[in-house]
Amino acid sequence: MSAAAAALRPAAMSVLRGAAALLVVAALWEGLVIATGVKPYYLPRLSVILQSIAQVPDAYIAGFLRTASETLLGFSVGAVVGVFNGVVFSQSRRLREVIFPLFVISQTIPVIAFGAVVVLWFGNTILAKAVIAFYLTFFPVTVNTLNGIESVDPRQVDLLRSFGASRFKLMRQLLLPAALPQIFVALRLACTLSLLGAIAGEWFGDTVGLGVLLLQAMYNEQVVALWAAILVAGLLGTTFYGLVALAEKKFVFWKAEQT
Amino acid sequence: MSARSHASRRTLVNGAIGIVGVVVLWEAAARLLDLPVYVLPSVSRILAAIVAQHQLLWNAALMTMWEAVAGFFAGSAVGIVLAIALTMMPRARRVLLPMATALNSVPVVAYAPLILLWFGIGPTSKIVMVAIAVGFTVFLHALSGLDRVDRRAVDLMRSFGASPAAIIWRLRVPAAIPLTAAGMRVSTVRAMIVAIVTEMLGATGGLGWTIFQAVLQIDFVQVWAAIFVASAISLVFFGGVNMLEKRYVFWK
Repeated sequence: MSAAAAALRPAAMSVLRGAAALLVVAALWEGLVIATGVKPYYLPRLSVILQSIAQVPDAYIAGFLRTASETLLGFSVGAVVGVFNGVVFSQSRRLREVIFPLFVISQTIPVIAFGAVVVLWFGNTILAKAVIAFYLTFFPVTVNTLNGIESVDPRQVDLLRSFGASRFKLMRQLLLPAALPQIFVALRLACTLSLLGAIAGEWFGDTVGLGVLLLQAMYNEQVVALWAAILVAGLLGTTFYGLVALAEKKFVFWKAEQT
Repeated sequence: MSARSHASRRTLVNGAIGIVGVVVLWEAAARLLDLPVYVLPSVSRILAAIVAQHQLLWNAALMTMWEAVAGFFAGSAVGIVLAIALTMMPRARRVLLPMATALNSVPVVAYAPLILLWFGIGPTSKIVMVAIAVGFTVFLHALSGLDRVDRRAVDLMRSFGASPAAIIWRLRVPAAIPLTAAGMRVSTVRAMIVAIVTEMLGATGGLGWTIFQAVLQIDFVQVWAAIFVASAISLVFFGGVNMLEKRYVFWK
């Protein structure tokens, strides 16, 4: 009982510390803007921004939900395909050598340019943005899954094999769990990337989403609305990142002391 | 030695097979299925467009390259300096690091409209955007590299009376170089992409601008031509930094 409480304490402490840091930043922001008299064009007061969100919460909530679903869809499929690719590549050297360079080249294509084409292919749907988010997610996950699997001690593989473990069993019980810490590093990176893809994808004439809110605010030079959209995008980004980090703590508990 | 070069040649050959295979498939699909240009133009048409428009594309590419490279170096420098500064001040680090991580989870493109309003639609806003994107990545890599020192080595140096500055310069900085270099390598492609993304929102020239104009004019061969050029430049940039890394971070 008390051991569990003691284990909970660091987590609670870090949440508290995060909340305290947030409050400090908010107070600093508000105070500095008032004290230095920065023009609202450059940096409006935080309270003004929050008020403007409170006035029309529906647009921000709708944008949040829309962008979140695009991101999540692309991210999950990208994560699954990435792990799958990593597993396949680890089993077939030849396949890896033929396909991997193509993946590398594919990642040098500027997403947004590709976005124009994707939106044309799939129309202005959630699917188009999810495809862009997917495109940015699968690559880091593939790379890290492969690296994680390859860095397993070959003696452990030999040992399991000598006990007659099948390829499938070897993968499930040794290689994938061993690669998990690396996979999570990629997932954390990918959650920022997939959100970026979803937002940029909305720039091709969609009507709902955080990217749309950003673009509209820019064209109308409404700095307050722009900051409001940035804050909501930040909220989405940090929540998403936090959830992935939480999952990492739960599934990669043996590495908990490292992060 | 020869076994190794044999293996690397095999990798090269297999990689070439993959690339040639895709190009052939692409060309065949576009021609045999008679795909409309807006769905997928054939590779040969795209290449022909690049040759025909090489002057325009080259000028656009020069501008984007300048933005990406200037932002890349500015961002890397700021990221490295900040990482060293925070390592020297553990107190400030405890407060600032969670904030930096939180800031980093806001997608960079969300700042793009703001930066455009602040710095105008000229190249400056793109350089700032690239510097932000590259700076964060390099900062986080450099920071974890600076931490990757054996505790005992620090204690040993301290017991010989080394000052904190000496420990940073002699021990931590050299230890951080491989990871920092890796951060810079992954940032190269990002630098190009961010420059292009920002150009699409508003610019006076550059590949992103070319792509945006082509989209408006529904000229998809031109879109693909610009994509090809951007992709080729990214690869060269990546290869260059990769080569420098291999030469100077030889112990990795």
